[in-house]
Amino acid sequence: MVRFENVGMRYGAGPEVLRDVTFVLEAGSFTFLTGLSGAGKTTLLKLIYLAEPPSRGLITLFGSDMATLRRADFPAIRRRIGVVFQDFRLLPHLSAFDNVALPLRLAGRHEGEYEHDVEELLSWVGLGDRMNAKPATLSGGEQQRIAIARAVVARPDLLIADEPTGNVDPEIGARLIRLFGELNRLGTTVLIATHDRALIESTKAREMRLVDGRLVELRAAVRA
Amino acid sequence: MSSSSRLLPREKGAAPLDLVIGVMAFLAALALGASLLAERASVGWRAGLSDRLTVQILVPSAGDVNATLSRETAAVLDVLRATPGIAHATPLSEAEMQSLVEPWLGKGALVAELPLPKLIDAALVPGAGVDLAGLAARLKRAAPDAQLDDHGRWIARLKGLADTIVWSASAILLLIAVATASIVAFATRAGLEAQHDMVQLLHQMGAHAGFIARAFERHYALAALGASAAGAVVAALLFLAAGGLEFAGVEAVPFLPPVALKLDEAAWLAAVPVIATLIAWATARLSVLAAVREIY
Repeated sequence: MVRFENVGMRYGAGPEVLRDVTFVLEAGSFTFLTGLSGAGKTTLLKLIYLAEPPSRGLITLFGSDMATLRRADFPAIRRRIGVVFQDFRLLPHLSAFDNVALPLRLAGRHEGEYEHDVEELLSWVGLGDRMNAKPATLSGGEQQRIAIARAVVARPDLLIADEPTGNVDPEIGARLIRLFGELNRLGTTVLIATHDRALIESTKAREMRLVDGRLVELRAAVRA
Repeated sequence: MSSSSRLLPREKGAAPLDLVIGVMAFLAALALGASLLAERASVGWRAGLSDRLTVQILVPSAGDVNATLSRETAAVLDVLRATPGIAHATPLSEAEMQSLVEPWLGKGALVAELPLPKLIDAALVPGAGVDLAGLAARLKRAAPDAQLDDHGRWIARLKGLADTIVWSASAILLLIAVATASIVAFATRAGLEAQHDMVQLLHQMGAHAGFIARAFERHYALAALGASAAGAVVAALLFLAAGGLEFAGVEAVPFLPPVALKLDEAAWLAAVPVIATLIAWATARLSVLAAVREIY
C-alpha cells in the first residue's frame, strides 16, 4: 500500500527533516506515528499524501512509483487517500454538510446520491444538528469532527490523520477511534500521527516513532 | 450543491473590479459606436457625391459677361446631354446661386449685381463609367471657361477622415481589450492568492486542474458579463439618446455624421460584453491552470 525506501526530505537549503526513512504499510493495517513536536511527523504524512515531493529516496503508493508516475495520474491517487489535517482546512464559506460532501463531489457524484450518507456520517460524529452551520460558528472539536467526516466519507483506501483527537474530549476521542477502527475493518489502511499515549495504549496497533528525522519501530502490531 | 460555482465565495471588495470592467466596456462600446458611425457616414458621403458631377463656368474677365456665360452654359449643357452615362444636367437658377453665396456675402441689391459663375449639376447613371478626362476636354473645347469637378478630391478626403476614425476606434478597442484582459488576469491572480488555501485543498483532495479552473472561470466570466453588459447598455443608451436630440431639433453639424446609432447598429454593441466575458473566461482559466501547475 505504502512503501518508503531511504526517503530523505529537506525544505530548500535547510537541514534534512527526514533521513533514510524506510517502512512499509501493508494494506488493511492500522499504524500510529509518534514523535516529539518537530520530529518530522507532519512532513512524513505530507510525503504520503503527495503534498510534497521527497528530496531523495523512493516512495511507492498503491503499487506505483511516485517518481515515475505521470502528474496527470496524481489526482486519481490523491482521491484514494483521506486526510485529516492538523489544522482541519475546512472551507469557511461552505456548510458542515458541503464540507463533508466535498470528496464525493470531486468524485463526480451528485447530491441526491450521497445526501443520506453524509447526513448519517455527520450524525455519527455528533453533528447531526449542525449540518448547515459554517465552520466559523463551530468549536475546534466540532471542526475537527467535520474534518474527520470529510476524510472518511468517500471510504478511502488509505486514511491519514494528523493529531485527529487533539481538540476533542476523551469520550468523543474514543468514538472517533472506533470510527477509524470500523473503517480499518472494512479494509481501509489507517495511519494516525498522535501524541495521545492513552489512544495508542487503547489499541494493539503498530507504533512507529520518529526521532530526529529517523524512524524507529517501537511496537509491531499485536494480532488479537 | 451541484455545480462548482459555489465553491468560490462571493468576494468582498470585488466592486472596484466590476466598476473598472464596466467602464472599460463603456469606452469600448463608445469606440465601436464611433467606428460604426464613421463607416456609415463614409458610405453615405461617397454614395451622395460619387454619382454627381458639377461643371463650373467661371466669369470671363473681358467682354459681354452675361452673353458669354449664357452661350457657354448652353454649350456645356449640349455636351453633357450628348454624353452617354449622364442621366440629366441642370443649371442652378439665379435664386439657387444667391442662396449658395448668401452665408458668405449676405443678401441685397449689391450682391445681386455681382457677377457669379454658372454652376451646372449633373447626375451620372450609376455604374455607367463615364470617361471624365475625355468629358473635361470636350467641355473645355465647347466652353473655354468651364471647369469639371467630379468631387474626387473631396470624396478622397472624406474617406480618409472616415478611415482614420475607423482605424483609431479599432486601435482603441484593441487597447481596451488588452487592458481588460490584464485587469481580469490581475484580479484572478489576486483572487487565487486569496483563495490559495482552497485551491491547495481541492488539489490535495484530488481535484483535477480543470475542476478548480471551472470554479474560477465561471465566477470571473459571470462578473465580467454583468459589469460589461451594464457598460455597453449605458453606451448604447447614449447613442440612442443622441438620436432623440436630433429629433428634438438639435441641428447636426453640416457634413459631420449624425451621432445617433440605428437600432441594428446598436445591436453590434452587444459584441462588447460577449468579448469581455470571453476575455475574462480565458484569462481566469489560464491563470488558474498556471497556478495549479505550480503546486506539486
